[in-house]
Amino acid sequence: MEIKKVHINEEAYPVLLKEISKPPDPLYYIGNLGLAERTCVAVVGSRQASGYGCRNAEALGEKLAARGASVVSGMAKGIDSCAHRGALSAMWQGSRGSTIAVLGCGIDVCYPPSNKKLRDEIAGFGLIVSEYPPGTQPARYMFPSRNRIISGLSAATVVVQAPGSSGALITAEMAAEQGRFVYAVPGNIDSAYNLGSNKLIRDGAAPLVILEDLLTDLGLGTEVVKDFEKNLGEEELRLVELLAKEGEMTEEQLCAASGRPASLVSGMVTILEMKGVICTYLGKIFIAKS
Amino acid sequence: MTKIYTASLCGMKAELVTVETDLQSGLPAVNMVGLADTTIKEAKERIRAAIINSGCGFPKQRLTVNLSPAGTPKEGSHFDLPIAMGILLLGSGRQSLCEQVAYIGELSLDGRVRHIRGALPLAMGLRERGIRKLVLPRTNLQEAALLRDMELYPVDDLRECLNFIMEGGKAAPWKGKQASCATREQKEDFRDIIGQEVVKRTIVTAAAGNHGLLLMGSPGSGKTMMAKRIPGILPDMSYEETLEITRIHSAAGLLSEETPFVLERPFRAPHHSISKAAMIGGGRHPRPGEISLAHNGILFLDEFGEFDPSLIEMLRQPMEAGQVTISRSWGAVSFPCHAMIVAAANPCKCGYLGDEHHLCTCTERQLNAYLSRFSGPILDRIDLHAQVFPVPYEDMGMEEGSGLSTEDMSLQVKRAAAIQKERYQNTDIRYNSRLEAKQIPVFCPMTKDAGQFLKEACEKLALSMRTYYKIIKVSRTIADLHETDTIDTYHIAEALRYRTLDRFYRRPGHGN
Repeated sequence: MEIKKVHINEEAYPVLLKEISKPPDPLYYIGNLGLAERTCVAVVGSRQASGYGCRNAEALGEKLAARGASVVSGMAKGIDSCAHRGALSAMWQGSRGSTIAVLGCGIDVCYPPSNKKLRDEIAGFGLIVSEYPPGTQPARYMFPSRNRIISGLSAATVVVQAPGSSGALITAEMAAEQGRFVYAVPGNIDSAYNLGSNKLIRDGAAPLVILEDLLTDLGLGTEVVKDFEKNLGEEELRLVELLAKEGEMTEEQLCAASGRPASLVSGMVTILEMKGVICTYLGKIFIAKS
Repeated sequence: MTKIYTASLCGMKAELVTVETDLQSGLPAVNMVGLADTTIKEAKERIRAAIINSGCGFPKQRLTVNLSPAGTPKEGSHFDLPIAMGILLLGSGRQSLCEQVAYIGELSLDGRVRHIRGALPLAMGLRERGIRKLVLPRTNLQEAALLRDMELYPVDDLRECLNFIMEGGKAAPWKGKQASCATREQKEDFRDIIGQEVVKRTIVTAAAGNHGLLLMGSPGSGKTMMAKRIPGILPDMSYEETLEITRIHSAAGLLSEETPFVLERPFRAPHHSISKAAMIGGGRHPRPGEISLAHNGILFLDEFGEFDPSLIEMLRQPMEAGQVTISRSWGAVSFPCHAMIVAAANPCKCGYLGDEHHLCTCTERQLNAYLSRFSGPILDRIDLHAQVFPVPYEDMGMEEGSGLSTEDMSLQVKRAAAIQKERYQNTDIRYNSRLEAKQIPVFCPMTKDAGQFLKEACEKLALSMRTYYKIIKVSRTIADLHETDTIDTYHIAEALRYRTLDRFYRRPGHGN
C-alpha cells in the first residue's frame, strides 16, 4: 500500500482539520483522502467495552456509513474497532459511506497487532491517516495527541461508551474545544463501563438518545426503521418485546420477566438467535442490530 | 512348618498369599523372603514384641517366613497378623484348622490388632479364591460386612485371635447388624440458592444424562455453592455401586471405623495444584487417584482455568474409557473412573469479563491465553456450559424456597435416569453421555424439522462435528426430561443454548 503525505498548504488537505490549533503537518495517509471531505463523524470509546457498547458502536458505524458519512475512529480495540467494522459492513452492503482510522503511531505500523485484518480492510476501502512519520512505534504519549486529529477531522464526535478514565473523554474534550458537536450515548448508571460517557452528558454533551438527532444535526437525512418482527411465534414475540423494553438481559432475567420455565426460554433464545433477531455476547442477550 | 492364608493388595484386586513359616536350628533370627517391601520387613519387630507382650514365647531359633507366590511384590501392614499366627502355631498341631481361614491385620506392640487399609478389596479377593472365613481387625468389620456371604471373625488382639484357633475354630462368625445402604442425609439444598433457574435447569440436564458440566461466572456468583449440591440430586447408589466405590476408597485407605463405607455419591474437589499421580492414580504400588475416588460421583474441578493444561489432557482418555490403567515394571493395575466432571471457572483471568459492575482488567493477550485453556480437547468432554451471574442485590432478600429445591430436581433426574435404564438395558451404557456415534441413530430418533434445524444451526453457529454429536446426546437427555421418545426442535434448541462457551467470547455481528 502506497504511503502518501499531504501538507497543510496543499489543496487536498482536509478542510476541517485546518481549523484546529496545531494541525498536523504533514499528514501521512494511505487510501482515499477524499473521504475526509465527506461528512465525518467520530465514533469513539474505550477499549474496555461491554456488549452494550460494542453493539451500539457497530450499529452507529453502520447507520452513519449507510447515510454516506465517513466514520472516524482510532482503530483501538473495543469500541473503535466495532465502529470501523460497522462502517465496513455498511460498505459491503453497498453504502456510499466509509471509514477513516487515525493512528497514534507510524502509518505503516499496525497497532494493536491483532487488528491486522481490520487495518488491511480500512487501508483498502477507507482511509488511514497519521501525523507520525512511517516507522514510528506507538508510545503512550502519542495517543492523546492523535485524538485531536480524530475530533479535528469530524463535524461531530460521539462517545459511545467510556469508563471513568478513557482516551475517548480526551477526544470529546478536544472536540468541544474545536467547537464541534459532542454526543455521548447514555448507559446504565450502575455499570462501571458507562461512567465516563454518562459524566460527559452531565457536563454538557448531547445525549444520543435517538440517532435521528445526530443525522438531523449533520444534515444526513432520517433513519429508515426496519421491521424485524418477521414470522415470530407468540411466545417468541413476547421475549423480543421484553428485550426491546430492557435493552439487554441475561437469560435468568428473561425467565423471571416472562414467567416461563428456563427450559423453554433457553430453546427460544437459540431459535431467535438463529433467526437473527437477537444476539448474545458475554452471556447477555439483546436485540440484534436492525 | 505352618501355612496361613492372607492376601496381598495390587491396585484394587487382591491375590491370595500363603505365609509359610518354618523353624530351623541355628542362631536366633527372623528371615523374610518373597518380595516383601519395607512395611512387611519391619513387621518382624512388631510381631516379636506383640507375641511376647501377649504372654507367649517367641522361638529362639532360626525362623524363615516365606510369602508365596514369591515372585510378586507385596506391601501393606496387614501381613503382621498372619505372620504372627504362623509363628504362634508352629508345632501346635493346629495347622489343619487354618486351611479355610484367612487372616489380615496389623499388630501393635502390645498385641492389639489395628485398623488396616483395603479390608474390603482383600476380602473380595479371598472370596474369589473360595475362602469365606476371614479373621480381621474389629475396626474393619463393618467395611467387610458389605460382602454378605463372608464369615467374619473380628478380633481386638492377638490373644483373641489365638483363642479362636485354640478353641478349634468353632467360634460362630459375627452375626451383627449389617449397616444399611439406605441412610442418606443431604444438609445442603438447592433451595438455598436464590434464583439461578437457568443454571439449575442446566444442572438437572447434566445430572440426568451424566454429562460434564462447566459453570462459568465471576467470583462470588455461587458456582461452588451449586456444585456442592449436585450429589444431592443424583439418584441413590445401588448396592453394586456402593460396593464399587467403597472398594476404591478402601484401597486408597480413606475408610476408618467411623466411616466404614461410602454411602453417598462421592464429591471430590481436588485443588488445582494437584499432581498428576494424585489425580490419575499412582505410586510404586499404585493407589487410586482423584478421578477414581470420584467414581460413581462427581469430580469437581474448581478454578478449572488454573489447572495445569497437561494434567487436564491426561484426564481425557480415562474419562472416555471409564477406567484408568497404571503400568509398572511388574505389571499393571486398573481403577474404574466413571465420574461426572463438574468444572467451575472465571470467564477471564481477573474474573470480571461480562460483569456490569466491575471492569475487566485483562489485556487481550491475557484473555487469549486464558481462552486457549478452554479450547483444548478436554472441553469436548464437557457437554454443558452454564453461565452463572451474581444474584442482584435487590433479589438477595428474596424468600428462600421460591426456586427449585433439591427434591424437585432429584425427582426430574430420577425419572430421566429410569427412562435411560430401560432404553439401555441390553447395552453396556448407563447414561446418554456415553452414547457412541454409531449408536446415535438407533437411540436418538428426531423429527424431520429437528434434523433440519440442527443442520442449519451447525452451519450458522459454525459447530464442529464433535459438537454436533454432543448436541444430539444432550438433546436426548432433554427429551428424556420431557419424557418424550423423539427429539424435537425445542430439545435441540435448548441443547444448543447450553453450548454457550463456543460463542461466549464471540462479539456480536462478526463471524457468526
